[in-house]
Amino acid sequence: MTNNEPDIGSLETEMNRGFLHILVLALLEKDMYGYSMVKHIETLGYKVEENTLYPLLRRLEKNGWIASKWNLTEDRPRKFYAITAAGRALRANLLDVWKTQNRVLEKINKETSHV
Amino acid sequence: MSDKLEAYLEEISHFLSGRAEREEILSEIRSHILEKAAEGTGASGTAGAPGDAAVDEAIAAFGPARKVAGRYVDDRPIIAPAYKRYLFRYTSMLFAVHAALTVLAVVFKKDFVIFPFLFMPKLGIIDALMYLPMAFLADLGIVAVVLYFITQSGKDVKLPWPKFAVDLDEVKPPKKSFWLSRVATAVGAVIMLAVTDFALYVFARHQTIFFANADWDNLRPLFMPAPGRRISLIVIAMFAASTMALFVKLFTRSRWVDVASNAVTIGLVGLLLRQPVDDLFVAEIAGRFSPRIVTWGKYSVLITLLFIALMTTIELVKGIVVISRRKLSQVK
Repeated sequence: MTNNEPDIGSLETEMNRGFLHILVLALLEKDMYGYSMVKHIETLGYKVEENTLYPLLRRLEKNGWIASKWNLTEDRPRKFYAITAAGRALRANLLDVWKTQNRVLEKINKETSHV
Repeated sequence: MSDKLEAYLEEISHFLSGRAEREEILSEIRSHILEKAAEGTGASGTAGAPGDAAVDEAIAAFGPARKVAGRYVDDRPIIAPAYKRYLFRYTSMLFAVHAALTVLAVVFKKDFVIFPFLFMPKLGIIDALMYLPMAFLADLGIVAVVLYFITQSGKDVKLPWPKFAVDLDEVKPPKKSFWLSRVATAVGAVIMLAVTDFALYVFARHQTIFFANADWDNLRPLFMPAPGRRISLIVIAMFAASTMALFVKLFTRSRWVDVASNAVTIGLVGLLLRQPVDDLFVAEIAGRFSPRIVTWGKYSVLITLLFIALMTTIELVKGIVVISRRKLSQVK
């Protein structure tokens, strides 16, 4: 790698930070626990760092965008998360931002492809 | 349950010390690792204990304990990036006050107090030279603590930015070309080598390098033999140190060379200042002038040496600050 090449690793981490918020809020329309979320995201062809997911869930919960409950009735104790009304409003706003960004990038792509 | 898992959770717990939700975090991580390990050993969905190897694998996939704990810690830095430059600016200002008071304490042999911040006891010259680096570290600590509290308050505090002299940010490497600067350094090194050699030659012949006249065939020493010898040797050592620094600078532009050179100079000036000034001049010189003028002469030498020590200390501190700033800016 030359010095001029960007460090895609750190840039990807930065991009993922915002995307993970939307992803988690979208997933939690159905009650899920951490490990089931990791597995589900993998089946969608995406990978999330396990040690990144849990602190994110904690932050979202602290802000009241998701709620959690321990389930002790099954074989193993699991902490289930669900989206709240405030979380749904946030998700809608974030999706709007994401769509706008996508639209802008697509427009630029179209413009530059004609050059 | 795997001892390794408990040890891993214990390590994370150590890094999360003081956080109220620590147990909750650890429980969730334990649940995740056991679930993943169980799946790895085919025990998924059952209460059976997963194998140690699978637990080890799940722990490795989750990441090092410090990194994991770091994800839960607030992102707020110890000192906000916006305040980093204030750290050195304010430290420099505080240290300038400290250094000035130190000089006054030495020259006037008095205690100085600026209530309630600074107390400067009466100091000897060596005490003062030993005290200044400690004062610098204390000043740096005080400013760092203040900036730490401002950062942790989360408030947008606008601090004054006094501009004086040349900003350290504006100190740029010399614009001279590579070869021009090397040639200038080489010329300086050769001149200093010649000066040092000449001083050594004169010292070997006359046991001093300080004279009261410029008549080469009939040189008369300025100082008494014993102090003259000591002072001459110290000054020759200063010449030699400067010469060595210039030769080293031919091969590296590292600021550490200047820092080391300044440190040696301060030490040698300190040795000079330790020399007794009573009966310093030879009787013939002392008798030629009134006692008042001789006393003034002694104090002039002392003040000049103190001034050199102060300037060298400032250069030394400036060098250390510049190196520290560069190191800090390299830390991601």
